[in-house]
Amino acid sequence: MARTKTILMLAAPLAAGAAIAAARSRAARKPDESGRRHVVTVFKPLSELESQQLPGSLREIADGVEITLRAAPAGRGTEIAVRIPEGSSTTPGEVRRALRETRSLIEVGDVLLPAGPPTTKPTLTNRPLQKATQHGREGGLL
Amino acid sequence: MKALQWQGVNKLAVGTVPDPELRNPGDIIVKVSRTVTCGSDLHLLGGYIPFMEKGDVLGHEFLGEVVEVGPDVRNHRVGDRVVVSSFIACGNCWYCDQKLFSLCDNGNTNPAITETLWGHAPGGCFGYSHAMGGNAGSHAEYIRVPFADVGAFTVPDGVSDDRALFASDSASTGWMGADLGGVKPGDVVAVWGAGAVGQMAARAAVLLGAERVIVIDRLANRLSQAEGLGTETINYETTDVAAELRERSGGRGPDVCIEAVGMEAHSPGAHFGYDQIKQQLRLQTDRPIAVREAIHACRKGGSVFVLGVYAGFVDKFPLGAMMNKGLTVRGAQMHGQRYIPMLLERMAKGELVTEHLATHVMPLDQAPEGYRMFKEKEDDCVRAVFIP
Ligand SMILES: NC(=O)c1ccc[n+]([C@@H]2O[C@H](COP(=O)([O-])OP(=O)(O)OC[C@H]3O[C@@H](n4cnc5c(N)ncnc54)[C@H](O)[C@@H]3O)[C@@H](O)[C@H]2O)c1
Ligand SMILES: [Zn+2]
Ligand SMILES: [Zn+2]
Repeated sequence: MARTKTILMLAAPLAAGAAIAAARSRAARKPDESGRRHVVTVFKPLSELESQQLPGSLREIADGVEITLRAAPAGRGTEIAVRIPEGSSTTPGEVRRALRETRSLIEVGDVLLPAGPPTTKPTLTNRPLQKATQHGREGGLL
Repeated sequence: MKALQWQGVNKLAVGTVPDPELRNPGDIIVKVSRTVTCGSDLHLLGGYIPFMEKGDVLGHEFLGEVVEVGPDVRNHRVGDRVVVSSFIACGNCWYCDQKLFSLCDNGNTNPAITETLWGHAPGGCFGYSHAMGGNAGSHAEYIRVPFADVGAFTVPDGVSDDRALFASDSASTGWMGADLGGVKPGDVVAVWGAGAVGQMAARAAVLLGAERVIVIDRLANRLSQAEGLGTETINYETTDVAAELRERSGGRGPDVCIEAVGMEAHSPGAHFGYDQIKQQLRLQTDRPIAVREAIHACRKGGSVFVLGVYAGFVDKFPLGAMMNKGLTVRGAQMHGQRYIPMLLERMAKGELVTEHLATHVMPLDQAPEGYRMFKEKEDDCVRAVFIP
């Protein structure tokens, strides 16, 4: 949450203003969220996933987190849930990135890289958005 | 290479940027032969979508020749003439499986921004800000196209560049509005906006068998182009749109209302000033004038499809009319991959004609001037096409 709020505040005087207000009012009434699991659904049946090891990014953080797999309803694939136990050094950002990359690796076999080389320069006005998007898969609500 | 770059709010310039490189094994590099302005770009230019960096390359509706292919590409070879969907989709996730390609789970490298704004992140788009993946756009000599087997389509020999170009974005967007808006034979369909998107939505409604298709705008040249596609028109500056639609639809109201105007809608009425001031004060991010009118005009139980781009929040949304009239209100960014092959076939058969949209064709060097004309609708500009 902290990271995405920063992205918006730095990068976006306009549309984001309203979003920040909404995010703030959500944050204000937020109960203790420390045990919340991060969950994505990947479009591959549980039977196919169990037989293979979880790919790359999720395997890298597997020691520091609890991972559970469960069949999603109506042929939607498999729900992968990650909980960060108390005392773990794994961050929510790392978990979000790992889950998003894992979904792409399982579904596509690859993780999309940003276009390049960049056509923009690290100017004073560009830097905040550039900083935020360098970690584009770590933020958000997941 | 040469490219048109966003330099700040309402500031564009042609500059030199590095040539794009293959980044993923499913990528191709396309040498752009035609690339075109879109109403969506005006929202970026005007600073209404505030996730642009100085130096970003604009453009998402384009056609060109494949000059490099990644090792995993199966459907394309160097030399192919391709038209590319403006939205980037993986082809493998659940959303792609449902043919909701612009909702792809794996097509945006920066999902955090839109997920925070909207609850979930749609896919990526070319040249459409860092919220949509920060992909370099097509107003350049070359462009990298990811997931090329899914998003790039070989143009049949019988279809000219000038016609096929618009399958990339405006024709597929318009078709989606009519298709997902549920247009059926015998329907009365109203379309707000006679830009390229509105015209293509209207033409799709005609081809899907609508009884009457009525296009609403104030620009005479655009309205007369729409009439050339087999539609009727209303000039909203000289006619009471709601009353006219009621009369032309036997008092029922249109069965399907397609909005192709977007967040910078214009209105001759008092609410324009109200909406513009609220938008400038950031009390609302978008001006939903045409959406309000569509919901009010739509028949009971009818459907409203929002093609116009909106970024955030609107004011005075007619929720009462929507709920009590039992309307279906739907919107989407374009699912181009779903429609482009069919559109190219119809283009080859001559059912779908688009060349008239390219009112101004110019070298890429003149793109800033092209955008100025497109924005001001000067000299009856409908679309400015750039040749890099
Ligand atoms: N959903 C998508 O994937 C998608 C794709 C392309 C474009 N778009 C959006 O569609 C919209 C139209 O695109 P375009 O390229 O045709 O734009 P455009 O700017 O060329 O055309 C917009 C038209 O709307 C008319 N208009 C303004 N206010 C109106 C009102 N109150 N009632 C009726 N007409 C009104 C204008 O006179 C103009 O002719 C834009 O918002 C654009 O961002 C969406
Ligand atoms: Zn567009
Ligand atoms: Zn996908």
